[in-house]
Amino acid sequence: MPEKFKFAFMPSASCGGCEIAIVDIDEVILKVAELADIVYWPTVLDFKDKDLEAIPDGGVTVGFYNGAVRNTHDVYHAKLMRQKSQVLVAFGACAQMGGIPSLGNFWTTEEIAHRMYDTVPSVVNPEGTRPQTTFDAPEGELTLPRAMERSYALDQVVDVDYYLPGCPPQVKWIVAAVEAVASGELPPKGTVIAGTKAVCDECPRERSEEKQITEFKRIHLVENDPEKCLLEQGIMCCGPATRDGCEAACVVAGQGCRGCFGPTDNVNDMGAKLASAIASLVIADTQEEADRVLGQLDDPAGYFYRFGLAKSMLGVQRGERKDDDE
Amino acid sequence: MRKIEIDPISRLEGHGKIAIFLDDAGDVANAYLQIPELRGFEQFCVGRPVEEVPRITPRICGV
Repeated sequence: MPEKFKFAFMPSASCGGCEIAIVDIDEVILKVAELADIVYWPTVLDFKDKDLEAIPDGGVTVGFYNGAVRNTHDVYHAKLMRQKSQVLVAFGACAQMGGIPSLGNFWTTEEIAHRMYDTVPSVVNPEGTRPQTTFDAPEGELTLPRAMERSYALDQVVDVDYYLPGCPPQVKWIVAAVEAVASGELPPKGTVIAGTKAVCDECPRERSEEKQITEFKRIHLVENDPEKCLLEQGIMCCGPATRDGCEAACVVAGQGCRGCFGPTDNVNDMGAKLASAIASLVIADTQEEADRVLGQLDDPAGYFYRFGLAKSMLGVQRGERKDDDE
Repeated sequence: MRKIEIDPISRLEGHGKIAIFLDDAGDVANAYLQIPELRGFEQFCVGRPVEEVPRITPRICGV
């Protein structure tokens, strides 16, 4: 039997949903176990940094990194994974393009910290205590990583070979990726392992020849027809500019797509693409009418950049932009 | 004082480290739980339509 592959799974600024997605492959996990040894997976087994550090450079066949890069320890983990992995996969929307944590890029880290530690109603912090990178406790020194000025996608910190999109990634694409590794038939570097069209292309809902938006309504104000295109019913959906491969799961369940698979190929800024896609579907004879319809969209930034703000050309929107030194 | 650091706390979702300080007799003098990760849900949910919040906050913990 040839030598087994070695897989490593690294969580960073993430929620654990990506790890659950791996477990969700059910009995295929047995095939993975036949194929590969898992040499690092702290969410599931008791691994520490030193275990990954002890592996020779390139000793991990495929490293799967999930989560955004938010603090200085995440940066260390990203670099360590790159150094140890022959193939590095950005696993899930956060690693691919910042994900939900990168919504925080609309604020400075100081503004976020002020909310978290001073003004949230459940917080009582009269002395204004904040996390410190070093703290002299009576018994000795305590250290914490520094929260950087914004969230980053993995490929903004290190070189990435493949992307497994989704929040969370879908089982069939995880299996496809594992099978590609097993067969040695790897796609070209930079491939996003998912569909190549838009969510609308695999959406079973009916729509007009040319999709038409005449108004936007909040979802609780619409009698949602399960057969009909959500956008044509006035319900915001990111399907037109989002990569397919999820079988339009949210849309089938009656909720508009929020773009977790990221943009289709050759799109740099998902939000810009979505803004343009949605605007082009609005039916209006006059500028006033277009303004009226688009004005009904209550949170464009939150829809267009739900999962992809770290990769946006906007960077951070508000406050003094401070650059991270790492 | 001797310090034992458990970082990361493994086999869970979320980020934590524990520092345990031992006195000269080897007994625990004090222990600290630290949460290293900051994401900011408390801030970036502000301004979002309320019906969108159940689609954002499940990503606090996806386990």
